[in-house]
Amino acid sequence: MTDLTRDAIQTRLQACTSKETTFKELVSLSKQLERLTDADKTEENKVKGCESAVWLIEHQDNGVCTFQADSDAKLMRGVLVAILSLANGRTKTELQAMDLATELSQFNLSSYLTSSRTNGILGILKQIQT
Amino acid sequence: MAFDANTLRAQFPILQLEANDHPLVYLDNAATTQKPQAVLDALMAYYTTSNANVHRGAHYLSDRATAQFEHARDRVARFINAADSDHVIWTKGTTESINLVAYGLEWCLKPDDEILITSLEHHANLVPWQQLAFRTGARLRVLPLTSKGEWEPEYERYFNEHTRIFACTQISNAIGVKTPIKEMLAAAKAVKAFTLVDGAQAVAHYPVDVQDLDCDFYVFSGHKMYAPTGIGVLYGKPHALEVLTPVQTGGEMVRHVTYNSTEFNVLPYRLEAGTPNIEGVIGMTAACDFLANQDRTAMIEWEQKLARYVYDELKFNTSIEIYSPAVDTTVVSLSVPGIHTLDLNGYLDSQGVAVRAGSHCAHPLMAQLGVSSTLRASFACYNTLSEARRFCDVLLEAIEILGDD
Repeated sequence: MTDLTRDAIQTRLQACTSKETTFKELVSLSKQLERLTDADKTEENKVKGCESAVWLIEHQDNGVCTFQADSDAKLMRGVLVAILSLANGRTKTELQAMDLATELSQFNLSSYLTSSRTNGILGILKQIQT
Repeated sequence: MAFDANTLRAQFPILQLEANDHPLVYLDNAATTQKPQAVLDALMAYYTTSNANVHRGAHYLSDRATAQFEHARDRVARFINAADSDHVIWTKGTTESINLVAYGLEWCLKPDDEILITSLEHHANLVPWQQLAFRTGARLRVLPLTSKGEWEPEYERYFNEHTRIFACTQISNAIGVKTPIKEMLAAAKAVKAFTLVDGAQAVAHYPVDVQDLDCDFYVFSGHKMYAPTGIGVLYGKPHALEVLTPVQTGGEMVRHVTYNSTEFNVLPYRLEAGTPNIEGVIGMTAACDFLANQDRTAMIEWEQKLARYVYDELKFNTSIEIYSPAVDTTVVSLSVPGIHTLDLNGYLDSQGVAVRAGSHCAHPLMAQLGVSSTLRASFACYNTLSEARRFCDVLLEAIEILGDD
């Protein structure tokens, strides 16, 4: 979870004009992620198929989903901040109606998304919708 | 012959590229090497002057293609000092070569037999043997080589009357250490085991002499020795190739077929079903010529000097752990405890420096080293000292940026 809105994150990432500035912005965004406790980093909460370790926890309150996520890699934590800003506060039905990969591509993360099949980002998006 | 990396670089057009707004520094050579102009020209020449299917004869282009295809077999045989070109089987790479042997020898294994590998293997020289063990009831045993690759007298006991197959890498892909291959092969031969050497990480750097090694099988890939991707070699002694059951059957590998029976062709064709990767094979000739035209001694000294430079620059840095040896290697594999190698890799990439972060297809070895992944810089003949220096500088920048919490 993070205090930044989707728009704020998108603006920050869209301002990046090189891989280097994107890298630094993701590192900076990673600090916004509320980390999971070790107790929550269970095998069960682990997203399968990610290059780095990624954990995802879902809470529902009156049908509204809130996700918590963490990773052992900083860049991935930065990406998770972007993903959570898209997903949090929506119902499952809303999430399932969204094209999350396309929405995420608007964050100027194309070079991270081209390898999304191998780095596991697609798996994270899928799990959010399931 | 003088060796000069800067002159040599000019033969590799891709090295002129920029990557992420920085000059490309390509240090992922253990994964794949770049291709010299001569190899690129050979591919273009094949398609513009000789493209046809091979061994089907009967016309001008097919004759040309077949002649070049079989010339490549001779060229590779000379490159590894095989006694005869018939001992060279074309495959799509090291992995396929090992699988051809692992399936082809299935008939000779029974429960209680042992397949011996070492703890420094790539998954390609582990999983096919493990699966073979599952299929036959044989045991997979692992010789516990240290990350220094040292031979211990106690290892003798791993070679016994149950050992049917011994498969070992010549050089670890993950950390670049050489294995005591000759001592191990001698022990394996003493118990009459089939022997296979994974030469994938050796061929680009060291002259290979399969007769001197005296192994039954020697396997390697083209893409790691300046040749195209998708071509590889299974070398075998005649008696060893002869007993391999063909894994793939079909065209090219047969002499006569009826609905009730098939007479297989002779070696090497018996193990080469279907239309081969002709352009890849022809590219192998150019790659072997390219290597043969270099002063190989000066070349390996240069490659090792680059790795040694990086090792010496980083060895006293307390935040860095190096897993590669100090000498006699072309690889520096390292980790920075507390910082994910993918993050280090992300910064290096943003600066145009291409290395490899990950487990290097060697999960058990990573477990032995006590890490989940390493960052590997691997050098080739066209790398320069300023590139080695740039890698060190950018790595230290990455540690500073990423290590602030």
